[in-house]
Amino acid sequence: MMPLVQWFGHSAVAQAIHNSSWLFPFIEIFHLLALGLLGGTIILVDLRFFGLGMKSKPLPELARDVQPWLLTSLAVMLTSGFLLFISEAAKMYTNEALRFKMLFLALALIFMFTIRSRFTNAQPTPASPVSGWAVALISMALWTCVGLGGRAIGFV
Amino acid sequence: MSITAFMQWLANTPMSVSIRESLWGYPIIETIHVLGLCLFLGFTVMLDLRLLGVAMKRTPASEVCGRLEPWMVGGFIVMLSSGVLLFYGDPAKFYGSIFMRVKFAMLALAGLNVLIFKTGTYRKVREWDMRDATPAGAKIAAALSLTLWIGIVAAGRAIAYFLPPD
Repeated sequence: MMPLVQWFGHSAVAQAIHNSSWLFPFIEIFHLLALGLLGGTIILVDLRFFGLGMKSKPLPELARDVQPWLLTSLAVMLTSGFLLFISEAAKMYTNEALRFKMLFLALALIFMFTIRSRFTNAQPTPASPVSGWAVALISMALWTCVGLGGRAIGFV
Repeated sequence: MSITAFMQWLANTPMSVSIRESLWGYPIIETIHVLGLCLFLGFTVMLDLRLLGVAMKRTPASEVCGRLEPWMVGGFIVMLSSGVLLFYGDPAKFYGSIFMRVKFAMLALAGLNVLIFKTGTYRKVREWDMRDATPAGAKIAAALSLTLWIGIVAAGRAIAYFLPPD
């Protein structure tokens, strides 16, 4: 994968961000704003598994309502994150925290689009809430790991 | 005592020194600040989008507001206390940061915006709760809120990049 990363790292876009004094923090702002919305939409649905937050709304309806905002913020996160990564490609490629983050990002996304979405689409809502609680806890734990990894990138 | 002298004094208190000099102090508090951001900012944006009439349209505005509010208050307390600790770790420096001052000003405006909305348009929420289009007052409050919070995040990020020299 190294040659591909190097190729992106040498691209004009990556070099422009790398050589600019303000583009990196500017892209980080988008990354943070999208993080707020992505985190918010995930927490809102995960809380609903416990009967908290938007409790008067059925889970499938709530999940459907927030889905476009979740997908939009995810797209912004992935795009801005990718730009931040390629601007420091050589350094980031070997960053342990980034690898940790990418591993948990992959797990969180797979979990969200497979098991969790099966639960949020379930109609009628299953009689026992316990499996739903587990789904919400796993979801929040996986995303917390993504966040912790992301925060650690700058410190390792 | 002038504010600058007070900040200097604050910077020399033992707890401020330990936050500043500890290896884990800043990363841990910053992580809490960012996790609080998901809860607070995420819910704020969802509520603003509802007030703009673009998200969760099938749910009454008062319902979205009422259900999200306790979590937003909780998220805000997390953000505020972690933010205060971050500031307290290096008060003299942060006080001198222009972006910190801009952030404070915008935070005050965001608070004022909530106050005006809650005592104005929101008092008649029952009249427009389920209407297709939300009233202009709600739209203006939501647009102002989104703009201010984008500005607050941007200023917050800028603080770390443009710190005044020691």
